Amino acid sequence: MATDYLTIARDADELAVGLRGDWLFDNVPSLEANLEDVDFSGNESVIFHCGGLQNIDIAGAWVLFHKSQEIKHQGREIGFRGFKEAHFKFLENITSLEDAPPLNDIRGRASGRLQSMVESVGESTLAGVADVGRIASAIFSGITQPSRIIWRETLSQFEQVAFRATPIVLLVCTLMGLVLAYQGATQLQKFGASIFVVDLVSISIVREMGVLLTAIIVAGRSGSAFAASIGVMNLNEETDALRVMGLNPDHVLVIPRVAALTVALPMLTVLGIMAGLAGGTLLCQLVLDISPSQFVQRAASAVDSADVFAGLIKAPVFALLIAAVSTLRGLQVQSSAAELGRLTTVAVVQSITLIILADGIFTVIFVRYGI
Amino acid sequence: MASEAANDDHIIEVRGLINQFGTNRVHDELDLTVNHGEVMGLIGGSGTGKSVLFRSILGLHQPNAGRITVLGREIQFRRPGPEKDWGVLFQSGALLSGLTVQQNVELPIALHSRMSPASRAELAVLKIRMTGLPVQAAGKYPSELSGGMVKRAALARALALEPKLLFLDEPTSGLDPVAATEFDQLIDYLKRSLDLTVVMITHDLDSVFGICDRIAVLVDRKTVTGPPTEIAQIDHPWIQRYFGDPRAQRAMTASDPHDR
Repeated sequence: MATDYLTIARDADELAVGLRGDWLFDNVPSLEANLEDVDFSGNESVIFHCGGLQNIDIAGAWVLFHKSQEIKHQGREIGFRGFKEAHFKFLENITSLEDAPPLNDIRGRASGRLQSMVESVGESTLAGVADVGRIASAIFSGITQPSRIIWRETLSQFEQVAFRATPIVLLVCTLMGLVLAYQGATQLQKFGASIFVVDLVSISIVREMGVLLTAIIVAGRSGSAFAASIGVMNLNEETDALRVMGLNPDHVLVIPRVAALTVALPMLTVLGIMAGLAGGTLLCQLVLDISPSQFVQRAASAVDSADVFAGLIKAPVFALLIAAVSTLRGLQVQSSAAELGRLTTVAVVQSITLIILADGIFTVIFVRYGI
Repeated sequence: MASEAANDDHIIEVRGLINQFGTNRVHDELDLTVNHGEVMGLIGGSGTGKSVLFRSILGLHQPNAGRITVLGREIQFRRPGPEKDWGVLFQSGALLSGLTVQQNVELPIALHSRMSPASRAELAVLKIRMTGLPVQAAGKYPSELSGGMVKRAALARALALEPKLLFLDEPTSGLDPVAATEFDQLIDYLKRSLDLTVVMITHDLDSVFGICDRIAVLVDRKTVTGPPTEIAQIDHPWIQRYFGDPRAQRAMTASDPHDR
């Protein structure tokens, strides 16, 4: 019997396995298949003849070594003839070390994984509580002892989160106004009550949609930017560098972002509300023949100051939530790029979830106090 | 015929390499030849373009001019080259942080071989042990390893495909002297047992005299090559400063590469 890599000759008390060709990394699958086909089940001793061997590297030697160990464990004699010893010695050195646990141990048993999972939940809860305190104290000390370096950083952050976000906020809120008005129009037209579209659009935009939409856009845009930029600084040991220079990264990185966003989000919200109303006005003009002046008149009587208050008071609160969550997540990034991605995602998802949760709480409070 | 046979022995050939950043020319008609089976050290002051040369040879940097051949294949910027036949150890290790050490070593095997997952895993563990790491390190993530262990793990990955040529970027930087010496010995051992050719950027004088057969010094935008002890005699200001350093003198007297 002969294959590309083996020749087999059976004697009375000896199985002669001749190796030939290239026993190289590239051929490992074929080598294994070739060896698999050989019937090693007898009792005779096995001699590997290596005279015909062209080339062998570690991967090839390892396949052979593996097989020979297997045969040896069956309590049979093995031998090698004409073998270039170098690789084989090398392998024997490595594999004869006693500290090798079986492979499945390395990968971790399920029970161990469960335990470490439970532990990590506990640890992350504790760390979470500590981190919230850390952020809160950073914000507090930023209010009580503002410094110059923080001012400068705040201005540059403000440019990022306010000015650069303006176009997208305007665009999305205008579209939202259009959609709301169109949805309202198709329904209310059936009852001949199309003028109420103005009430619908203006109240919903001013009270809810304007601020909510703006906050969600900002959470996606600035929240991810905060988490990622602080996270990368952590990975590059930049936060450590700040600390050894005597700057507290909690202050230098967190306060400017929180401050900038707390100022920027209410301003963006006002713009967003105006854009939404403009979108509504446009649609009413085009579809319902309600002129812009009619729209403004009707909207002014529909919306009262309580609605405006209810809409705008939420903005700084949402801003605080977004900034705190995302800077916190950024600061939690440690040691790996995968963590950066994960925590950036967490920052955005948690920001948006908290915004909607807070919006719900506001609504309950407003309803209770009749605002 | 004779000259062709000699060329087969040239694992790396760099001819007329020019690299220029703005008006700053770092390499000017630079030539470099690395022969089969030798450990070539790349040394030079900061800003002399060691890394640029290294990256040019690996096809990671587009030179302004010049021809680079590695293992008989011409290197073109960001084009497939002899990836299967070379292993690269980056300075920081560059292990993928989302994968365990074992998965890192398995990755090149999985990319270049149709080996069964079981064989792949065992071969990866074998390579990890070859570099002197304990088996337990296989299941760890790079962030859980010390600096020296990261280098060893990265070396295991570089060796995964049985390369003929090994590139090392400052393999001993950031290691303590004991770990650095161990790492040098490991490279030397692997080189001799695996028939490797090694190119390494290094600042470590102990590595230069300990394991380098020849060194290429980057001075005046070109290379000066030769055995370390001969280079040390060359009358050039930078070379004299470098080898005149007391630490160099000690390293020179302490180790003789042919003695180990």
